[in-house]
Amino acid sequence: MSEPISHNKMPVMIGIGEYHVGSVPMMAIGLGSCIGLAIYDRDRRIGAMVHIMLPESSGRTDRPGKYADTAVPLLLNTLSNMGCHKSSLVVKMAGGACMFEYFGNNLNIGERNAEKVRAVLAENQIRISAEEVGGKSGRTVAFYPEDDGKVTVRSADGAAHEI
Amino acid sequence: MKLSSVQMDAMQELGNIGAAHAATTLSQLLSSTVEMSVPKIMTVDIAQLADHIGDESAALVVFELQGEIPHGGYIIFYISRKSAVHLTNTMLGLTDPDRPLSEMDESALIEVGNIMASAFLDAAAELLGFVMIPSPPALTIDMAHAAMQSLIAQMQEEINEVMLFSTELFCEEHKIDSDIIMMPETSTLKMFVERLDNLMKPI
Repeated sequence: MSEPISHNKMPVMIGIGEYHVGSVPMMAIGLGSCIGLAIYDRDRRIGAMVHIMLPESSGRTDRPGKYADTAVPLLLNTLSNMGCHKSSLVVKMAGGACMFEYFGNNLNIGERNAEKVRAVLAENQIRISAEEVGGKSGRTVAFYPEDDGKVTVRSADGAAHEI
Repeated sequence: MKLSSVQMDAMQELGNIGAAHAATTLSQLLSSTVEMSVPKIMTVDIAQLADHIGDESAALVVFELQGEIPHGGYIIFYISRKSAVHLTNTMLGLTDPDRPLSEMDESALIEVGNIMASAFLDAAAELLGFVMIPSPPALTIDMAHAAMQSLIAQMQEEINEVMLFSTELFCEEHKIDSDIIMMPETSTLKMFVERLDNLMKPI
């Protein structure tokens, strides 16, 4: 098992609107309404992760990783340029919580983020193999491409589990 | 938006006055000395938010800034989970520092947040000359970064940077460490600066 090796490496921290591609561990901490999306290529054993904040870019191009409608194509194109094929991709996502029901009650950005990610993936004929979205709690998501694309989710009480 | 050094000083003074009033009310509530740090003004790129606020568990009592500006941004009473227990223990006459937080603690935290946010905004509004009132409170006890991120995502203006006005309030006697944080919308910040610029003009 490659587990001890990959877990000893410091993960690349992916801030809001950022993304990373490669084989190193990646991590997006404290997702509330944000989404952590991880795409793993089984054949090449690499992957990409993005930290999405809002559903729609409305024509903005400065930070494609920030919006679901631009972040998904961004990851797919990047992986495709590296020679990855759709058929070997494993897609997992977490986040999209609604922590403050009182504020922005008509917004529910978390849910809209998740819906947009699903929709754009569906347009590209890619299905999601695992997701943990919604609810009221924050999540920290870690992605280990070298460990068969393992994705773990941890909540504030400290319990991490694989999805 | 970028502030000049004079505007920064003025904003710092605004934070100072607000936080000093909040500190006084906290001190009265605890019947103990509460000290405050120098208010910090931070312009934070959202991609680097995690450098300032981690995913540790904390209680955040959040208020929207309302009044003359309907959606002015947020004011947040931030307290680590550990300090939150120390605080409510002091208020409720309990002693166990390792107990889980109950509904009673939640009510107490909301109450403290309410009093502090009101004190902060009253003082700031008096200086600025316009009405700012806190919305009803919302409490979350969860990952601090997740809570702040959720607030940033639902701000009115599309932003890549937020300006945080943060002052630490601490009580040695009861081992309580907390922060009062204001995160205004850009339009609110502009209004603040305009008013403060006017205040500093010669007659």
